[in-house]
Amino acid sequence: MINNLVFVILFLLGFYAILVKKNLIKMVIGLNIMEGAIFYWFISITDRGGMIPIINGTQVTSQMNDPVPQALILTGIVIGASTSAFLLTLIIELNKFTNSTNPDQIGGMIED
Amino acid sequence: MIILKYLLIIFLIATAYLAISFKEELISIIFLSIFSITLTTLYLIHNAPDVALAEAVIGAGLNTAIFMTVISQVREGKSIFREDD
Amino acid sequence: MSKAKNIFKIIILSLLGITLLVHFNKLPLQFEYANSIYHHITNNAVKETGSLNFVTAILYDYRAYDSLGESTIIFGAVSGIVLLLSRKTLPVSSHGLSFIVKRTFGMLTPFIFLFGIYIISHGHLSPGGGFQGGVILGSISIIFSIVYGSEFDYKRYSPTTKTLLETSGALLFIGLGLLGIVMGGNFLVNLKILNSGVGSLISAGSIPFINIGIGFKIGAGLAIIFYSMIQKTFKEEVNL
Repeated sequence: MINNLVFVILFLLGFYAILVKKNLIKMVIGLNIMEGAIFYWFISITDRGGMIPIINGTQVTSQMNDPVPQALILTGIVIGASTSAFLLTLIIELNKFTNSTNPDQIGGMIED
Repeated sequence: MIILKYLLIIFLIATAYLAISFKEELISIIFLSIFSITLTTLYLIHNAPDVALAEAVIGAGLNTAIFMTVISQVREGKSIFREDD
Repeated sequence: MSKAKNIFKIIILSLLGITLLVHFNKLPLQFEYANSIYHHITNNAVKETGSLNFVTAILYDYRAYDSLGESTIIFGAVSGIVLLLSRKTLPVSSHGLSFIVKRTFGMLTPFIFLFGIYIISHGHLSPGGGFQGGVILGSISIIFSIVYGSEFDYKRYSPTTKTLLETSGALLFIGLGLLGIVMGGNFLVNLKILNSGVGSLISAGSIPFINIGIGFKIGAGLAIIFYSMIQKTFKEEVNL
Protein backbone atom coordinates (compact mmCIF):
# COMPACT_ATOMS: atom_id res chain seq x y z
CA MET A 1 0.00 0.00 0.00
CA ILE A 2 2.75 2.46 0.90
CA ASN A 3 4.84 1.28 -2.05
CA ASN A 4 2.02 1.96 -4.50
CA LEU A 5 1.48 5.46 -3.11
CA VAL A 6 5.17 6.37 -3.33
CA PHE A 7 5.34 5.07 -6.89
CA VAL A 8 2.30 7.05 -8.03
CA ILE A 9 3.58 10.29 -6.46
CA LEU A 10 7.03 10.04 -8.06
CA PHE A 11 5.64 8.94 -11.42
CA LEU A 12 3.23 11.85 -11.55
CA LEU A 13 6.00 14.32 -10.57
CA GLY A 14 8.14 13.18 -13.47
CA PHE A 15 5.20 13.18 -15.87
CA TYR A 16 4.23 16.70 -14.79
CA ALA A 17 7.75 17.87 -15.61
CA ILE A 18 7.46 16.48 -19.14
CA LEU A 19 4.02 17.96 -19.80
CA VAL A 20 4.17 21.43 -18.33
CA LYS A 21 7.75 22.70 -18.17
CA LYS A 22 9.09 24.79 -21.01
CA ASN A 23 12.71 23.74 -20.97
CA LEU A 24 14.08 20.75 -22.83
CA ILE A 25 16.57 19.81 -20.11
CA LYS A 26 13.80 19.75 -17.49
CA MET A 27 12.00 17.22 -19.68
CA VAL A 28 15.00 14.89 -19.65
CA ILE A 29 15.26 15.25 -15.86
CA GLY A 30 11.59 14.32 -15.58
CA LEU A 31 12.19 11.21 -17.69
CA ASN A 32 14.97 10.14 -15.33
CA ILE A 33 12.72 10.62 -12.29
CA MET A 34 10.02 8.47 -13.88
CA GLU A 35 12.48 5.68 -14.55
CA GLY A 36 13.78 5.81 -10.98
CA ALA A 37 10.23 5.50 -9.65
CA ILE A 38 9.49 2.40 -11.75
CA PHE A 39 12.71 0.63 -10.75
CA TYR A 40 12.17 1.34 -7.07
CA TRP A 41 8.59 0.04 -7.20
CA PHE A 42 9.75 -3.17 -8.84
CA ILE A 43 12.37 -3.92 -6.17
CA SER A 44 10.16 -2.99 -3.23
CA ILE A 45 7.19 -5.11 -4.38
CA THR A 46 9.14 -8.34 -4.75
CA ASP A 47 10.95 -8.07 -1.42
CA ARG A 48 9.96 -11.06 0.65
CA GLY A 49 12.08 -10.15 3.65
CA GLY A 50 14.91 -12.57 2.90
CA MET A 51 18.67 -12.38 2.62
CA ILE A 52 20.74 -11.23 -0.33
CA PRO A 53 20.76 -13.75 -3.21
CA ILE A 54 24.42 -14.84 -2.95
CA ILE A 55 25.54 -18.11 -1.37
CA ASN A 56 28.10 -17.42 1.33
CA GLY A 57 28.91 -20.57 3.23
CA THR A 58 25.97 -22.66 4.34
CA GLN A 59 22.64 -21.03 3.83
CA VAL A 60 19.06 -22.11 3.42
CA THR A 61 18.15 -21.13 -0.10
CA SER A 62 14.45 -20.85 0.52
CA GLN A 63 14.90 -17.67 2.56
CA MET A 64 16.59 -15.62 -0.11
CA ASN A 65 15.25 -12.69 -2.04
CA ASP A 66 14.10 -13.10 -5.60
CA PRO A 67 17.02 -12.77 -8.06
CA VAL A 68 14.93 -12.54 -11.26
CA PRO A 69 13.63 -8.93 -10.90
CA GLN A 70 17.10 -7.70 -9.94
CA ALA A 71 18.50 -8.95 -13.23
CA LEU A 72 15.73 -7.18 -15.15
CA ILE A 73 16.27 -3.88 -13.33
CA LEU A 74 20.03 -3.94 -13.96
CA THR A 75 19.43 -4.06 -17.70
CA GLY A 76 16.89 -1.27 -17.37
CA ILE A 77 19.27 1.08 -15.58
CA VAL A 78 21.92 0.84 -18.30
CA ILE A 79 19.38 1.35 -21.09
CA GLY A 80 17.95 4.42 -19.33
CA ALA A 81 21.38 6.03 -19.06
CA SER A 82 22.21 5.53 -22.74
CA THR A 83 18.81 6.91 -23.81
CA SER A 84 19.43 10.05 -21.73
CA ALA A 85 22.86 10.49 -23.33
CA PHE A 86 21.38 10.32 -26.82
CA LEU A 87 18.59 12.78 -26.01
CA LEU A 88 21.14 15.27 -24.66
CA THR A 89 23.16 15.05 -27.87
CA LEU A 90 20.08 16.03 -29.84
CA ILE A 91 19.57 18.99 -27.51
CA ILE A 92 23.15 20.16 -28.15
CA GLU A 93 22.62 20.05 -31.90
CA LEU A 94 19.28 21.88 -31.70
CA ASN A 95 20.84 24.61 -29.61
CA LYS A 96 23.57 25.18 -32.18
CA PHE A 97 21.01 25.92 -34.88
CA THR A 98 18.32 27.85 -33.03
CA ASN A 99 20.15 29.20 -29.95
CA SER A 100 17.41 28.42 -27.45
CA THR A 101 16.05 25.54 -25.36
CA ASN A 102 12.37 26.42 -25.44
CA PRO A 103 10.27 23.90 -27.38
CA ASP A 104 7.60 26.44 -28.32
CA GLN A 105 10.19 28.81 -29.69
CA ILE A 106 11.98 26.08 -31.61
CA GLY A 107 8.73 24.81 -33.06
CA GLY A 108 7.86 28.27 -34.33
CA MET A 109 11.26 28.87 -35.88
CA ILE A 110 11.26 25.90 -38.24
CA GLU A 111 9.23 26.95 -41.24
CA ASP A 112 8.34 24.79 -44.16
CA MET B 1 15.40 -0.10 9.82
CA ILE B 2 11.78 0.74 9.22
CA ILE B 3 12.12 4.28 10.54
CA LEU B 4 15.17 4.80 8.30
CA LYS B 5 13.22 3.53 5.28
CA TYR B 6 10.31 5.91 5.82
CA LEU B 7 12.61 8.88 6.43
CA LEU B 8 14.48 8.14 3.21
CA ILE B 9 11.22 7.85 1.25
CA ILE B 10 10.12 11.30 2.46
CA PHE B 11 13.54 12.67 1.50
CA LEU B 12 13.23 11.06 -1.94
CA ILE B 13 9.91 12.74 -2.68
CA ALA B 14 11.17 16.13 -1.43
CA THR B 15 14.29 15.91 -3.61
CA ALA B 16 12.27 14.96 -6.67
CA TYR B 17 9.95 17.92 -6.15
CA LEU B 18 12.85 20.34 -5.74
CA ALA B 19 14.61 19.01 -8.83
CA ILE B 20 11.94 20.29 -11.20
CA SER B 21 11.14 23.63 -9.64
CA PHE B 22 14.11 25.92 -10.20
CA LYS B 23 14.74 28.19 -13.10
CA GLU B 24 18.50 27.64 -13.23
CA GLU B 25 19.46 24.24 -14.59
CA LEU B 26 22.62 23.70 -12.53
CA ILE B 27 20.64 23.35 -9.27
CA SER B 28 18.27 20.84 -10.87
CA ILE B 29 21.13 18.61 -11.92
CA ILE B 30 22.62 18.57 -8.42
CA PHE B 31 19.25 17.57 -6.99
CA LEU B 32 19.02 14.78 -9.56
CA SER B 33 22.37 13.48 -8.31
CA ILE B 34 21.10 13.51 -4.70
CA PHE B 35 17.98 11.63 -5.87
CA SER B 36 20.17 8.95 -7.37
CA ILE B 37 22.28 8.54 -4.22
CA THR B 38 19.17 8.23 -2.02
CA LEU B 39 17.82 5.58 -4.38
CA THR B 40 21.06 3.61 -3.94
CA THR B 41 20.65 3.53 -0.16
CA LEU B 42 17.03 2.41 -0.52
CA TYR B 43 18.09 -0.45 -2.79
CA LEU B 44 20.53 -1.61 -0.09
CA ILE B 45 17.80 -1.56 2.57
CA HIS B 46 15.73 -3.89 0.36
CA ASN B 47 18.66 -6.38 0.11
CA ALA B 48 19.62 -5.93 -3.56
CA PRO B 49 23.39 -5.25 -3.75
CA ASP B 50 23.89 -5.70 -7.51
CA VAL B 51 21.26 -3.12 -8.35
CA ALA B 52 22.67 -0.72 -5.75
CA LEU B 53 26.16 -0.95 -7.26
CA ALA B 54 24.85 -0.33 -10.77
CA GLU B 55 22.75 2.65 -9.71
CA ALA B 56 25.69 4.15 -7.79
CA VAL B 57 28.17 4.08 -10.67
CA ILE B 58 25.75 4.88 -13.48
CA GLY B 59 23.20 7.17 -11.89
CA ALA B 60 25.35 9.21 -9.57
CA GLY B 61 28.56 9.15 -11.56
CA LEU B 62 28.12 9.03 -15.30
CA ASN B 63 24.71 10.63 -15.69
CA THR B 64 25.74 13.73 -13.71
CA ALA B 65 28.97 14.12 -15.70
CA ILE B 66 27.12 13.97 -19.04
CA PHE B 67 24.50 16.48 -17.86
CA MET B 68 27.24 18.89 -16.80
CA THR B 69 28.89 18.89 -20.22
CA VAL B 70 25.57 19.70 -21.85
CA ILE B 71 24.87 22.56 -19.40
CA SER B 72 28.15 24.25 -20.22
CA GLN B 73 27.16 24.55 -23.89
CA VAL B 74 23.49 25.39 -23.63
CA ARG B 75 23.11 28.24 -21.13
CA GLU B 76 20.24 30.63 -21.62
CA GLY B 77 21.56 34.05 -22.41
CA LYS B 78 25.05 35.03 -23.36
CA SER B 79 28.07 33.01 -22.33
CA ILE B 80 31.57 34.47 -22.52
CA PHE B 81 32.99 31.34 -24.12
CA ARG B 82 30.64 31.21 -27.02
CA GLU B 83 32.17 32.07 -30.37
CA ASP B 84 30.94 31.74 -33.89
CA ASP B 85 32.26 28.56 -35.46
CA MET C 1 -5.59 30.31 -22.92
CA SER C 2 -2.47 28.87 -21.33
CA LYS C 3 -4.16 28.80 -17.92
CA ALA C 4 -6.97 26.63 -19.28
CA LYS C 5 -4.36 24.36 -20.87
CA ASN C 6 -2.56 24.01 -17.53
CA ILE C 7 -5.78 23.13 -15.68
CA PHE C 8 -6.60 20.57 -18.37
CA LYS C 9 -3.17 18.97 -17.97
CA ILE C 10 -3.55 18.79 -14.17
CA ILE C 11 -6.97 17.11 -14.55
CA ILE C 12 -5.47 14.48 -16.84
CA LEU C 13 -2.61 13.88 -14.39
CA SER C 14 -4.96 13.36 -11.44
CA LEU C 15 -7.16 10.98 -13.42
CA LEU C 16 -4.08 8.94 -14.32
CA GLY C 17 -2.99 8.88 -10.68
CA ILE C 18 -6.38 7.71 -9.39
CA THR C 19 -6.58 4.95 -12.02
CA LEU C 20 -3.10 3.69 -11.17
CA LEU C 21 -3.79 3.68 -7.43
CA VAL C 22 -7.14 1.89 -7.68
CA HIS C 23 -5.85 -0.85 -9.94
CA PHE C 24 -2.47 -1.39 -8.28
CA ASN C 25 -4.18 -1.97 -4.94
CA LYS C 26 -5.88 -5.02 -6.39
CA LEU C 27 -2.56 -6.81 -6.88
CA PRO C 28 -1.83 -9.52 -4.27
CA LEU C 29 0.43 -8.57 -1.41
CA GLN C 30 2.90 -11.41 -1.92
CA PHE C 31 3.67 -13.27 -5.09
CA GLU C 32 4.01 -16.91 -4.05
CA TYR C 33 3.63 -19.54 -6.68
CA ALA C 34 4.43 -23.19 -6.21
CA ASN C 35 6.52 -24.03 -9.29
CA SER C 36 7.99 -20.68 -10.25
CA ILE C 37 11.41 -19.83 -11.68
CA TYR C 38 12.51 -18.71 -8.22
CA HIS C 39 12.42 -22.25 -6.83
CA HIS C 40 14.17 -23.73 -9.85
CA ILE C 41 17.00 -21.21 -9.86
CA THR C 42 17.74 -21.19 -6.13
CA ASN C 43 17.79 -24.98 -5.99
CA ASN C 44 19.75 -25.81 -9.15
CA ALA C 45 21.91 -22.84 -10.11
CA VAL C 46 25.10 -23.88 -8.30
CA LYS C 47 25.02 -27.37 -9.79
CA GLU C 48 24.26 -26.27 -13.33
CA THR C 49 26.43 -23.16 -13.69
CA GLY C 50 28.95 -23.20 -10.86
CA SER C 51 28.60 -19.56 -9.84
CA LEU C 52 27.66 -18.49 -6.35
CA ASN C 53 25.96 -15.26 -7.42
CA PHE C 54 22.45 -15.95 -8.66
CA VAL C 55 21.98 -12.62 -10.42
CA THR C 56 25.18 -13.14 -12.45
CA ALA C 57 24.06 -16.67 -13.29
CA ILE C 58 20.78 -15.33 -14.65
CA LEU C 59 22.34 -12.47 -16.61
CA TYR C 60 25.20 -14.37 -18.23
CA ASP C 61 24.09 -17.98 -18.43
CA TYR C 62 20.34 -18.47 -18.37
CA ARG C 63 19.52 -15.20 -20.20
CA ALA C 64 22.79 -14.38 -21.94
CA TYR C 65 20.90 -13.52 -25.11
CA ASP C 66 19.32 -10.51 -23.39
CA SER C 67 22.77 -9.22 -22.42
CA LEU C 68 23.73 -9.44 -26.07
CA GLY C 69 20.71 -7.32 -26.94
CA GLU C 70 21.63 -4.75 -24.33
CA SER C 71 25.17 -4.49 -25.73
CA THR C 72 23.62 -3.87 -29.14
CA ILE C 73 21.53 -1.01 -27.74
CA ILE C 74 24.62 0.63 -26.26
CA PHE C 75 26.47 0.15 -29.53
CA GLY C 76 23.61 1.85 -31.36
CA ALA C 77 23.62 4.82 -28.98
CA VAL C 78 27.40 5.26 -29.27
CA SER C 79 27.21 5.12 -33.07
CA GLY C 80 24.44 7.70 -33.17
CA ILE C 81 26.30 10.11 -30.89
CA VAL C 82 29.56 9.84 -32.80
CA LEU C 83 27.72 10.38 -36.09
CA LEU C 84 26.10 13.58 -34.85
CA LEU C 85 29.02 15.16 -33.04
CA SER C 86 32.21 14.12 -34.79
CA ARG C 87 34.80 16.67 -35.80
CA LYS C 88 38.17 16.71 -37.47
CA THR C 89 40.19 18.99 -35.19
CA LEU C 90 41.55 18.28 -31.74
CA PRO C 91 39.49 20.15 -29.11
CA VAL C 92 41.28 22.12 -26.46
CA SER C 93 38.64 22.37 -23.85
CA SER C 94 40.51 22.74 -20.60
CA HIS C 95 44.03 23.07 -19.32
CA GLY C 96 43.42 20.91 -16.27
CA LEU C 97 42.99 21.73 -12.63
CA SER C 98 45.59 22.89 -10.14
CA PHE C 99 48.79 21.13 -9.14
CA ILE C 100 47.50 19.54 -5.93
CA VAL C 101 44.64 17.81 -7.74
CA LYS C 102 46.96 16.52 -10.46
CA ARG C 103 49.37 14.98 -7.96
CA THR C 104 46.59 13.38 -5.92
CA PHE C 105 44.98 11.76 -8.93
CA GLY C 106 48.37 10.60 -10.14
CA MET C 107 48.52 8.44 -7.04
CA LEU C 108 44.85 7.39 -7.05
CA THR C 109 44.32 6.27 -10.64
CA PRO C 110 46.12 2.88 -10.48
CA PHE C 111 43.93 1.88 -7.52
CA ILE C 112 40.77 2.81 -9.38
CA PHE C 113 41.94 0.67 -12.28
CA LEU C 114 42.65 -2.26 -9.95
CA PHE C 115 39.24 -1.90 -8.32
CA GLY C 116 37.52 -1.99 -11.70
CA ILE C 117 39.36 -5.17 -12.72
CA TYR C 118 38.52 -6.76 -9.34
CA ILE C 119 34.80 -6.15 -9.74
CA ILE C 120 34.79 -7.50 -13.31
CA SER C 121 36.71 -10.68 -12.59
CA HIS C 122 34.95 -11.61 -9.33
CA GLY C 123 31.50 -11.31 -10.85
CA HIS C 124 30.47 -14.84 -9.97
CA LEU C 125 31.58 -14.74 -6.34
CA SER C 126 30.45 -11.36 -5.00
CA PRO C 127 28.15 -8.54 -6.10
CA GLY C 128 29.41 -7.01 -9.32
CA GLY C 129 29.82 -8.26 -12.83
CA GLY C 130 30.58 -6.91 -16.25
CA PHE C 131 28.34 -3.85 -16.38
CA GLN C 132 29.34 -2.27 -13.10
CA GLY C 133 33.07 -2.86 -13.54
CA GLY C 134 32.96 -1.62 -17.12
CA VAL C 135 31.54 1.74 -16.08
CA ILE C 136 34.28 2.07 -13.45
CA LEU C 137 36.94 1.45 -16.10
CA GLY C 138 35.30 3.97 -18.41
CA SER C 139 35.37 6.66 -15.77
CA ILE C 140 39.17 6.68 -15.80
CA SER C 141 39.08 8.31 -19.23
CA ILE C 142 36.61 10.88 -17.89
CA ILE C 143 39.00 11.65 -15.01
CA PHE C 144 41.88 12.19 -17.46
CA SER C 145 39.75 14.54 -19.50
CA ILE C 146 38.73 16.69 -16.55
CA VAL C 147 41.83 16.75 -14.35
CA TYR C 148 44.67 16.75 -16.88
CA GLY C 149 43.10 18.44 -19.88
CA SER C 150 41.63 17.00 -23.04
CA GLU C 151 44.94 17.04 -24.90
CA PHE C 152 46.44 14.53 -22.43
CA ASP C 153 43.46 12.25 -22.91
CA TYR C 154 43.81 12.43 -26.68
CA LYS C 155 47.46 11.42 -26.57
CA ARG C 156 46.99 8.71 -23.95
CA TYR C 157 43.97 6.90 -25.34
CA SER C 158 43.32 8.03 -28.86
CA PRO C 159 39.84 7.35 -30.27
CA THR C 160 41.34 4.59 -32.39
CA THR C 161 42.39 2.68 -29.27
CA LYS C 162 38.95 3.09 -27.72
CA THR C 163 37.21 1.82 -30.83
CA LEU C 164 39.57 -1.15 -30.96
CA LEU C 165 38.79 -2.06 -27.35
CA GLU C 166 35.06 -1.81 -27.91
CA THR C 167 35.00 -4.00 -30.98
CA SER C 168 37.30 -6.60 -29.44
CA GLY C 169 34.99 -6.89 -26.44
CA ALA C 170 31.96 -7.44 -28.67
CA LEU C 171 33.83 -10.00 -30.79
CA LEU C 172 34.84 -11.92 -27.65
CA PHE C 173 31.20 -12.18 -26.60
CA ILE C 174 29.97 -13.38 -29.99
CA GLY C 175 32.97 -15.67 -30.44
CA LEU C 176 32.16 -17.48 -27.21
CA GLY C 177 28.61 -17.90 -28.39
CA LEU C 178 29.61 -19.41 -31.71
CA LEU C 179 32.11 -21.66 -29.96
CA GLY C 180 29.15 -23.18 -28.17
CA ILE C 181 27.65 -24.20 -31.53
CA VAL C 182 30.97 -25.66 -32.70
CA MET C 183 31.27 -27.81 -29.59
CA GLY C 184 27.87 -29.33 -30.10
CA GLY C 185 25.30 -27.35 -28.14
CA ASN C 186 23.15 -24.25 -28.48
CA PHE C 187 24.21 -20.63 -29.04
CA LEU C 188 25.83 -19.15 -25.88
CA VAL C 189 25.78 -22.39 -23.89
CA ASN C 190 28.02 -22.51 -20.84
CA LEU C 191 31.25 -24.32 -21.79
CA LYS C 192 32.88 -25.91 -18.80
CA ILE C 193 36.48 -25.93 -19.95
CA LEU C 194 38.53 -24.51 -17.04
CA ASN C 195 36.95 -25.68 -13.83
CA SER C 196 38.62 -25.96 -10.48
CA GLY C 197 35.90 -26.27 -7.93
CA VAL C 198 32.98 -24.20 -6.85
CA GLY C 199 33.99 -21.06 -5.01
CA SER C 200 37.40 -20.40 -6.53
CA LEU C 201 38.30 -17.73 -9.03
CA ILE C 202 38.64 -19.98 -12.09
CA SER C 203 35.28 -21.68 -12.15
CA ALA C 204 31.80 -21.25 -13.60
CA GLY C 205 32.77 -22.11 -17.16
CA SER C 206 32.62 -19.18 -19.55
CA ILE C 207 31.03 -16.58 -17.25
CA PRO C 208 34.31 -14.74 -16.40
CA PHE C 209 35.21 -14.40 -20.07
CA ILE C 210 31.81 -12.99 -20.97
CA ASN C 211 32.26 -10.55 -18.08
CA ILE C 212 35.63 -9.38 -19.47
CA GLY C 213 34.18 -8.89 -22.94
CA ILE C 214 31.22 -6.88 -21.74
CA GLY C 215 33.42 -4.83 -19.35
CA PHE C 216 35.68 -3.65 -22.17
CA LYS C 217 32.77 -2.88 -24.45
CA ILE C 218 30.83 -0.79 -21.94
CA GLY C 219 33.90 1.06 -20.65
CA ALA C 220 35.15 2.04 -24.07
CA GLY C 221 31.67 2.98 -25.25
CA LEU C 222 31.05 5.38 -22.39
CA ALA C 223 34.51 6.93 -22.78
CA ILE C 224 33.75 7.58 -26.46
CA ILE C 225 30.43 9.21 -25.54
CA PHE C 226 32.08 11.60 -23.10
CA TYR C 227 34.92 12.46 -25.45
CA SER C 228 32.52 13.37 -28.24
CA MET C 229 30.42 15.67 -26.11
CA ILE C 230 33.06 18.17 -24.89
CA GLN C 231 33.60 21.05 -27.20
CA LYS C 232 36.26 23.54 -28.01
CA THR C 233 35.90 26.44 -25.61
CA PHE C 234 39.34 28.05 -25.73
CA LYS C 235 41.23 29.59 -28.56
CA GLU C 236 44.82 28.47 -28.48
CA GLU C 237 46.26 31.63 -27.05
CA VAL C 238 43.71 32.51 -24.41
CA ASN C 239 45.19 32.31 -20.95
CA LEU C 240 42.59 31.82 -18.20
